[in-house]
Amino acid sequence: MNDFFTKIAGILEVDAVTESDVLKAFPQWDSLSVLSVIAMLDADYQINLKAADFQQVKTVGELWALVQSKKA
Amino acid sequence: MNFTYHNKRISGILTVVPAQERAFVEEMRNFNFPEARSLKLKEVMGYDKRRMVESGVCVSDLAVFGLQSLFDRGLLKKDEIDALLMVTVSPDYFTPPTSNIVQGRLGLKQDMLCLDINQACAGFVIGLMEAFMLLEQESVKKVVLINADVVSRKASPKDRNIYPLIGDAAAITILERDPNGSTIYANLKMDGSRADALKIPAGGCRLPSSPETAVMEDVGDNNLRAKDHLYMDGTAIFNFVQLEVPPMIESLLKTAGVPIESVDYFLCHQPNRFMLQKLADKMKVPHAKMPNNVVQHFGNSSGATIPTAITFNLAEQVKKGHVQACLAGFGGGLAWASMLVRLGELSFCEMLDYPNAQK
Repeated sequence: MNDFFTKIAGILEVDAVTESDVLKAFPQWDSLSVLSVIAMLDADYQINLKAADFQQVKTVGELWALVQSKKA
Repeated sequence: MNFTYHNKRISGILTVVPAQERAFVEEMRNFNFPEARSLKLKEVMGYDKRRMVESGVCVSDLAVFGLQSLFDRGLLKKDEIDALLMVTVSPDYFTPPTSNIVQGRLGLKQDMLCLDINQACAGFVIGLMEAFMLLEQESVKKVVLINADVVSRKASPKDRNIYPLIGDAAAITILERDPNGSTIYANLKMDGSRADALKIPAGGCRLPSSPETAVMEDVGDNNLRAKDHLYMDGTAIFNFVQLEVPPMIESLLKTAGVPIESVDYFLCHQPNRFMLQKLADKMKVPHAKMPNNVVQHFGNSSGATIPTAITFNLAEQVKKGHVQACLAGFGGGLAWASMLVRLGELSFCEMLDYPNAQK
């Protein structure tokens, strides 16, 4: 596991997340969490995700894959 | 594109806010979200109190009230106003221009220019640029710039994306010549291809208001709004600001030959505290140099937020001394503009409450 998962857990206000966790299953996953993830990715990973990008990802693992593909 | 202005100054700023104050913790029950999440939003965005006009109050009412107060106290004379610029996205009417309405209600002279400018959150900087350009004319010695909006009247009370952050206000800024004024630098960019990110879809000629455009709809994010209401794609705007604003300011300072450390204050449009903190972090500017408390106390009043930030935070400093200020506005259009200007020795810099109606 890496820093990214810790940061996502922090935004979702849980102790830890796994790759298979479904984002929408978290009650804390709302527009504020989406914005917090976008801000975190901009500050820490220098990538700019759009809200629409989140439509294609279901799980935390898929989000991490998307981040890596944008970074590449 | 870049602009420079010589021998001009801002000589006074008055911000008028409605006396009616709304509290986030009371309004959050209107939103279709768990209370804990709304409280989290409050904490992150810095939502607390905001000022909102009572029903029926228009931008000309706020502007006339503010100007009359300046006339009454001898801080401005009617006859010296050669141009009145009104920057608003919530005018009294399609036509006539709200600037003409203000002129007529106050009995200002005919020998002057009244001009409305439809600009939103970049409207203070763009208004200053227009005012400075007018001051190039020999016949124009004093310009009154009004940034006024009552966007609360166009916001859905059931839209958590918009409603809790909106504030109403009118800012009156006086601009004039100054033989000793230092060079003022400004730059500006526009991108109409991203216009949909901040939009009131109905009410214009493209989609006139009708019973249909007043129907409240959930577009899938638990917020209810009608086509008559202001829509904002919050994440798109966030990305836009983080992406475009730092290089704009960097370019401005480079053109002016001023190191970033020499700027005393970055006085930015105030969308919310979160966005301004992220912006300051990205620009590596201490948070103390970029005030972010306007939304918390008054709400986001579109083009009036920068003058509100000045009158609320820096009044004594800019009346008695000078500060090197970098202004930055960004939003609807999309439009983004910045200006490097020395603010100081203002003859007035204050806030005034627009009273509630007598009941």
